[in-house]
Amino acid sequence: MEQQLMFEKILVANRGEIAVRIMRSAQELDIKTVAIYEETDKDAFHITQGEEAICVGPGPRKDYLNIDGIIEAARKTGAQAIHPGYGFLAENPDFSKACTDAGLVFIGPPPEVISNLGSKVIARQIAIDAGIPVIPATDNLSSEGQGEEEALAFAAENGYPIMIKAVSGGGGRGIRRVEDKKGLLDGIKRSRSEAMMSFGNDAVYLEKCIRRPQHVEVQILADHQGNVVHLGTRNCSIQRRHQKLIEMAPAGLKKEFADRLCTSAVKVTKAANYLSAGTVEFLVGAEGEFYFLEVNTRIQVEHTVTEMVTGIDLVREQLLIALGEPISFTQQQVVERGYAIELRINAEDPKNNFLASPGKIQVYQGPGGHGVRLDGAIYQGYEIPRYYDSMLVKLTVYGYTWQEAVDRLARALKGFVILGVKTTIPYFQQILHEPDFIQMKFDTSYIDTHPHLVEYLEEEREMEKIARLIAEISAYGFNPHAQ
Amino acid sequence: MEARITTAMSTGEILEVLRRAEGYYLCNNERDVSQSDFKNRLMPMTTVRVAPYREAAGFFSIEVSGGASVHVDLMRKQVNPFERLRIARRAMPNTLLQAVCRGASLFGYRHYPDNVIRSTVREFAKYVNVWRVYDFLNHVPNMIPVFEEVQKTGQILMPSICFSTGKEHTDDYYVEKVKEVLDVTGPDVIISIKNHSGLGTPKRISSLVEAIHKSCPDIILHYHGCNTDGNDIGRMIAAVTAGVKICDVADHGLGAVYGQAPALTLIQTLEDYGKKAVGVDVEALVKASDVLRNERRIYEPFENVFRGHDPTVASYKLTGGAAGSTFEQADKGGFLDRMPEILDEMSRVQVELGNWWSVTPGSQILWTTAVNNVLYGRYERPSLDLKNLILGRYGPLPFYDPQEWICKKVLEYQRADGKKWHQVLAEEGGLVKPRDVDLDREREELEKKFSRPVSTEDLVLYLLYPFDGISFLKFEAQYGKTWLLPPEVWFRHGGFENGERVTFQDENGKPHSIEIISTRREGATVIISLMVDHAFHTQSVTLEG
Repeated sequence: MEQQLMFEKILVANRGEIAVRIMRSAQELDIKTVAIYEETDKDAFHITQGEEAICVGPGPRKDYLNIDGIIEAARKTGAQAIHPGYGFLAENPDFSKACTDAGLVFIGPPPEVISNLGSKVIARQIAIDAGIPVIPATDNLSSEGQGEEEALAFAAENGYPIMIKAVSGGGGRGIRRVEDKKGLLDGIKRSRSEAMMSFGNDAVYLEKCIRRPQHVEVQILADHQGNVVHLGTRNCSIQRRHQKLIEMAPAGLKKEFADRLCTSAVKVTKAANYLSAGTVEFLVGAEGEFYFLEVNTRIQVEHTVTEMVTGIDLVREQLLIALGEPISFTQQQVVERGYAIELRINAEDPKNNFLASPGKIQVYQGPGGHGVRLDGAIYQGYEIPRYYDSMLVKLTVYGYTWQEAVDRLARALKGFVILGVKTTIPYFQQILHEPDFIQMKFDTSYIDTHPHLVEYLEEEREMEKIARLIAEISAYGFNPHAQ
Repeated sequence: MEARITTAMSTGEILEVLRRAEGYYLCNNERDVSQSDFKNRLMPMTTVRVAPYREAAGFFSIEVSGGASVHVDLMRKQVNPFERLRIARRAMPNTLLQAVCRGASLFGYRHYPDNVIRSTVREFAKYVNVWRVYDFLNHVPNMIPVFEEVQKTGQILMPSICFSTGKEHTDDYYVEKVKEVLDVTGPDVIISIKNHSGLGTPKRISSLVEAIHKSCPDIILHYHGCNTDGNDIGRMIAAVTAGVKICDVADHGLGAVYGQAPALTLIQTLEDYGKKAVGVDVEALVKASDVLRNERRIYEPFENVFRGHDPTVASYKLTGGAAGSTFEQADKGGFLDRMPEILDEMSRVQVELGNWWSVTPGSQILWTTAVNNVLYGRYERPSLDLKNLILGRYGPLPFYDPQEWICKKVLEYQRADGKKWHQVLAEEGGLVKPRDVDLDREREELEKKFSRPVSTEDLVLYLLYPFDGISFLKFEAQYGKTWLLPPEVWFRHGGFENGERVTFQDENGKPHSIEIISTRREGATVIISLMVDHAFHTQSVTLEG
């Protein structure tokens, strides 16, 4: 029976590459798209990709976070649904609720699910109830001295190091590792203060620190009909200060172990009454033990690696689920073939502690060919605004074997020509030639244990140098270096 | 056995072929032609453009490096001298590459420390197959470190005996010098008669060759001469008919004056004497000159102010290789009109200072002394190099010492301690060998300066020319391999029109283009828009000076 479409036009409440990514899948389903933008972002590429665009305010950033403004933009443009992408309002239960209250379809989980899984303490309890191992941790620490006593008692039982985590934290923010009693007591104070400033909530809890673990996650889809399927594992261990740098699928685990993780992920998802696309994150210890970490209630940056190895369009599935359709395939139909690796090409200077490198993209040429996917939102002449994240383009490659994927990644990186800003490309090129990476020997300490990776030579392209001389001859009327 | 000599042959095989050859071989001395007649400005891309024909022409070797060219590459052309060799090697894979080396002065003007000499030779010998080595005083010990290092690398050693005229310059003297060299090197070398000023008659050269062969019958001889007086064809005919196996020549398309005489003229003449140029393809030789006739127009601004042969060189004896730089100095110094006077004075100075060989660095000493004598009075302003020469710092003078009045003027010049010349000579005289440098430390310093690892080539350039080496490495980092540009672009005058396009190939044969879109001036800043390989760029240049 043909399903009645509940929406024909969606508003994409995001910017950059993920906005473009969502629009592409929507357009393939013949769904019209509305781009939003702030005045400070009026040259962004994603604006040109929607059928319509609407300015949500002067910016910067605050209007992408303004729930009322975005709901009003949907109303004005006649959009019947909103896709939040990742970041900004994607995991804000108030936004999901506001959409529902306004009669708009929120393409993601309902507010109570976001709320529950957004609270690390509740999410943890859901996992415990589902029989999934969790990292030994405290409840939310009490305030003042009592909280300190609770912390010291936990330390006495579990030893150091210990992680202090903000209840409302995410994306690597609000996390602190402490090695001793003094660090613990100081860290709690600092974390509370930072959490209050960042998230408006100073609640923190403690967690046993798992040494040199791998960060593994499972992609989940859940529909209105109660179907939950997993799409295999991803390995996101290569992180810098808890921010993922390189992600790959599958995670490179033994099949039986990977199956256990995936089954656990499905259990947690079901227990949480999940809907739409989500990710269940685990830490995998050196001894093969694993612990539930959290659930991300959004489409993730690294979703492309899962798409490459399964061939499934996750955003299309999100849209179809939001339209009330069941997931388009069964668990048995999900097959992971080969390996996919994704890199975030950021406008950053790795040699300068990855400091953002804003500027104008003077030249942009991307790689192509078999097994190479680019999700970007930049163009030649684009002035990167300093107000938003520094990601220029996401490069995802597929290889039938791990080595093929690594080789392809190296080839694809060489194919980039990005002039005008410093990028993370030379740093990634170092990693691709690093023996531990090539042998898939990495955990979350990889970046810290391989500090030499920033020791590369910055090679300007030969033609840019020669062009400099031509410009000088043109300016002087003679070659000042040939006298 | 009459065969073309190629890079596929070992040194032993090459020497054997030369020993048995009935005919003679040709060395194309592009380096000396460039130095003598075009102020060393011939660019690597000119070499590349003519390379297919020169490669086909079948030369014994092509001299593309050494002498002043190494320094000028860095200073005036921003070309890495090693890169120049790699370019030539790629362009002419079968032809031996040759360099001239000033003994302990290498490619510079003063003696270098022993370990710098050896490191330099090792690096250059990776590309240079034939080493023409000389000392301007024919002082063999000054050449020994270079001899040793070249022989260690297995490349061909060509010890040179500098030739001149005058009563001291007897056949016996030169025969003894050849023997002295052979005592050091052994017989597996090519001895070069280095007639850098183009002196002597054909008869005189014939006599010299015969004398050397009489004493050392198996030795292979090479003749290098400049054509300043227009008679080097005559001298080469005499040399070859007397038994010389290799002659330095030029492409007639470059029409050298102070450099070498044209190859084709020599070939056509010697044919009549029953002597054949082995392995030479005349058609290719002609085509090479056809290419060079066009190229020559690019270098017209660098040609010598005096064009035309000068038979009076027999008197002032200046090496062809120094002609360009000396005339340029006179022109820039505003005393070009006094050249006849200066050249006369040079003839006098030549005799007064010992009648040794007017070739670098000696030619610079003679020239500077003659100029200062004319401008400021005889020996009133002696240079430091002249003082060092009289002190014997370059080695002993071969025939006689300058008269006492000259020694007094030079050695007592600007001395605050009031010491007399003979006292100075006694206390400070003699060959001074510079102390070895700490190569590891120098490398560390250089790496610190550039914040990157440096190659041994970079280190060698720095050790040879500390100031200009650094300047070049900075230029290279900022502007890249600008030698890839057509020479007419490098020497461009008048800027570019909007819409004008510069095209060239890179080292891998990939074509590139840079198109000038617009040029806009804002005060001292010029903003230039370019299409670089079809991508839009803007560059801003702040005009200096």
